[in-house]
Amino acid sequence: MISETHNEKRPNYLNPYFGGLLLGLLLLAVFFLAGRGLSATGALKLSIATVENIIAPGHVENSTYWSKFIPEDGSSPLFNWLVFAGLGTFFGGLISGAVYGRLGKLRVEHSPKINAKTRLVAAGIGGILFGIGSQFGRGCSSGAALSGTAAFSFGGLLVLMLMFGVGYVVAYFFRKLWI
Amino acid sequence: MWLLIFSENYGYKKIRIMGPLIPQGLIIGQWDFVIALLIGMAFGFILEASGFSSSRNIAGVFYGYNFVVLRVFFMALVVAMIGLLYFDYFGWINMDLVYVLPTFLPSMILGGVIMGFGFIIGGFCPGTSFTAAAIGKLDGFVFIGGVFIGIFLFGEGFPLFEEFYTAGALGNITIGEVIGMSNQMVTLGVTIVALVAFWGTWLIEKRVRKNIKLFKF
Amino acid sequence: MNRNYIYLTFLILILAAGVFFLPERNNEKHLNPEQLMYEIARPTRFITTDQIAQMIIEKDPTLELIDVRSEDQYAEFTLQRAVNIPLDSLVAESYQDYLGIEDMNAVFFSNDDIKADQAWVIARRMGYNSIYVMKGGLNCWINTIINPTKPVETASSEEFEQYNLRRGASMYFTGAEISADEGSKSSLKVTRKKKKAVAEGGC
Repeated sequence: MISETHNEKRPNYLNPYFGGLLLGLLLLAVFFLAGRGLSATGALKLSIATVENIIAPGHVENSTYWSKFIPEDGSSPLFNWLVFAGLGTFFGGLISGAVYGRLGKLRVEHSPKINAKTRLVAAGIGGILFGIGSQFGRGCSSGAALSGTAAFSFGGLLVLMLMFGVGYVVAYFFRKLWI
Repeated sequence: MWLLIFSENYGYKKIRIMGPLIPQGLIIGQWDFVIALLIGMAFGFILEASGFSSSRNIAGVFYGYNFVVLRVFFMALVVAMIGLLYFDYFGWINMDLVYVLPTFLPSMILGGVIMGFGFIIGGFCPGTSFTAAAIGKLDGFVFIGGVFIGIFLFGEGFPLFEEFYTAGALGNITIGEVIGMSNQMVTLGVTIVALVAFWGTWLIEKRVRKNIKLFKF
Repeated sequence: MNRNYIYLTFLILILAAGVFFLPERNNEKHLNPEQLMYEIARPTRFITTDQIAQMIIEKDPTLELIDVRSEDQYAEFTLQRAVNIPLDSLVAESYQDYLGIEDMNAVFFSNDDIKADQAWVIARRMGYNSIYVMKGGLNCWINTIINPTKPVETASSEEFEQYNLRRGASMYFTGAEISADEGSKSSLKVTRKKKKAVAEGGC
């Protein structure tokens, strides 16, 4: 059931409790510095707003959703805390991968029971769902579920419970993807 | 905490400042973007170093073979909640200025459900997909692309469900306010649930999987 | 390994239980004495009667006048659209809604400015920010706005300018026919103080 190629060298990960401790401390730091939590979807959302603004500015102005993200003084919507935090997340992952020797050529990681193409399609669909869901939920797992709940927000807890609850419920139906 | 300022009439004065710093304008110039970058880097590093760059690790919590998501998430939550209360007591942070995610009941319920599906099918959440992409995982890139498409679709279709999106607004309500407990009780509750989950999953691992190391991807 | 985890579990439980023993932080952001003394020495909290007159005439929406004298004195005469918070009830819960309303500038006044200044110190100590004192109080108001004294012949042109402005204000405030709400004590519409979510957030 376990493919040999995947497990020849056990990856060297941090103790999860220690990782959680660090993440919690980071949350405290970001609350202290910026009064807000972490979030990844914010950067993506603003990037799309920027691209749309460049391609079709009239449409953006009329749109009730996108117009909120374009600052009035004409500066780029990318000039925003969230975008820099998102870029940082990418580079942080890069550094960690380099330090722990996990950087590698482009590869698709998938369960041996499915092929790479299936995995990519699933990742795409999952991404689309997350994109839509995160806008409804006012945040993704890091923005709403983690940072929101840490700041005692009820909405954050709601999203957290639903996200994982629904995940557990439908896990059975998608088990072929993973085990 | 204390900050030294210089005033012409009185020489050096110690004044008291509290976090959060940026909303109070205590960070000058573009330093807040530098801070954002550094914080993002720490975030990405911690996620990747804990194993979130692999979708198989993440999905493991739903199938019971890898509990890293539960452990990291709950631990971070507990540390942050307890920490915020202690910071509040020490006067290091002004809780009134901290952003509490506002609650929009139906919209968030729908969002949570959709994200639950997305989690299982995609095996990532946006933050972790960044780190996966950073180490070269193609499925991470595809996931990010999917999120782009999803947000775009949402934005374009927004007029259709704008009413739904803003319905049920409860404002910046806290957990304690909804269920009638103080923040301290909520923190204790979350802590107990977390500890129970930690020991519970340890037991599960011990009993069910003899070779748990094989499931770390 | 296991023993460490047991210690860790207890540590976490103790810290979590510890939050119950932290005293409840009042929402009053207490200033420490040095800070307060520093601020008292600065004159920036004073607003002149001319400025107040101008704000009233221009119907400046951010102006909130607070009469800190007794209720009887307030009923007898007060400034247009002023509310009454007697000095000795300044800290009462029921009056807190008048202070700290977002974007409003609260100006304390009394007969001269002693009581108003005391009110300012107390309100500042309670943590309110955009609070001011009308310099000279109502006595000065009468002497400058209602009955301005004509400057002597040798006075500067600015003083004449100011006198003319004051005369205009005087007519505005005492003119019989014009302002129907002159001296009216219609109370300020109080909006419930919402919790300020100053930071941006979400994603």
